[in-house]
Amino acid sequence: MTQVQVTIEDLAGAPEGKVLKVVHVVGQLDETNVDEEAKQIYALLEATPQGLSLIFDFSGLEYMNSKSIGYLTDWYSKASGSGGMVVIAGARDNILDILQVVGLTQLINTYGTLEEAKLAVAQ
Amino acid sequence: MDEQGTTQSQAQAAQPVVAQPAPVAVAPVAAQPAVAPAPVVEAPKEAPTEIDIRIPTQAYFISGIRDFVVNLTKNMTGFSERWAYRFQAVVDELCNNAIEYGSAPGQFLKLTLISTKDTSLEVIVEDTGTGPKKMTAADMKNLYEERKQMMTGQYLGLRGRGLPKIVGEWTDELVFEDVETGGLRVKVKKYLRKEEDKVSSAKSDPTHLVLPG
Repeated sequence: MTQVQVTIEDLAGAPEGKVLKVVHVVGQLDETNVDEEAKQIYALLEATPQGLSLIFDFSGLEYMNSKSIGYLTDWYSKASGSGGMVVIAGARDNILDILQVVGLTQLINTYGTLEEAKLAVAQ
Repeated sequence: MDEQGTTQSQAQAAQPVVAQPAPVAVAPVAAQPAVAPAPVVEAPKEAPTEIDIRIPTQAYFISGIRDFVVNLTKNMTGFSERWAYRFQAVVDELCNNAIEYGSAPGQFLKLTLISTKDTSLEVIVEDTGTGPKKMTAADMKNLYEERKQMMTGQYLGLRGRGLPKIVGEWTDELVFEDVETGGLRVKVKKYLRKEEDKVSSAKSDPTHLVLPG
C-alpha cells in the first residue's frame, strides 16, 4: 500500500452551529489506499450531520488520483448540502493542476496557506 | 613630360577642382575575412527511446511506475516539470483502468513509453482481456464519449473523471485498439509544440550559466 497519513484536527473558534476540522493529508492518495482513508472522512460527516466544515491541508500531499478527486467532490456535496463547507489549503502545483483539469477548483475554494483557509472558513 | 607630351602642370590644370573635407582621424579597422554564410542544417533528431514494462496486475506496483514516469519525463523527453506530473497522472489512470477492467489478478499489463526527445511522448497500455469487466475498443470509445458528455456541466459523481478529463485533456491523440490475443490497447500521445511546455534550456544544460541581469 502506498504511504499516506491522514490526521484530523479540531479547530477552535467556529461560529455557533458550526464544527470546523482540519484534515491533514501527507503522502500519496492512490488506488491502493484511498478507499480505506475515505472511511475516516465519511465517519466525520456521519458524526456531524449539520454544519461541518472541513479544511483539507494538502501541503504534504504529493499525488492524488481521479478516485480521490471523486471522494473529495462527494464530501464537498455532502458538507455544503448540510450547512458546512469544504476548502483546500496549501496544495502543491501538481495537485492544483489536476484539480483544475477536472474542474474541481470551480467548486471548491483553494487557499495558498492553512492560515488563509482558516480565516475564510471561520467567517 | 609623359608619353603623350603633356607636362605635369598641364595635367593638373585639366583636373576639376574638388573641395576636400578636412582629414578626420579614424580608428584603424582590422580587415575582416570574407565568410560565406553557414548552410542551415537541422540538428539530427535523436531516435525515439522506447521502454517496455511488464507489470503484475496489482495497484501496489503502480506507485513505483509513477515515480519512474516523472523522472523519465523530466530528464529525457524535453517536457517541463509540469508535464512530468501530468504524464504521471495519465499513466496512473490508464494502468489502473487496465487493472480494474482488462487483466485478471495474477496476470500482467504492458506499459510502453516512447519518447522522441523535444518532439513527443507516447504512452501505450495493453491488458490481457482476462479481467472481470473486459472492454472492447468499441466499448471504450463509447464509454469515453459518454463520459466526456457527462463532464460538460458541473459533474459531482464519484467516478469517471480519469479517462475524459485527465487522459483526454492532457493528450493530443487517444486511440483504443483490440489486441489479437483478446486484450485492449490504449495509445495516447502528446506533442511538444509550445515553448511553455518545454523544459527550460538553462535547467536542462548544466554548463549554461545564467548571470543575474
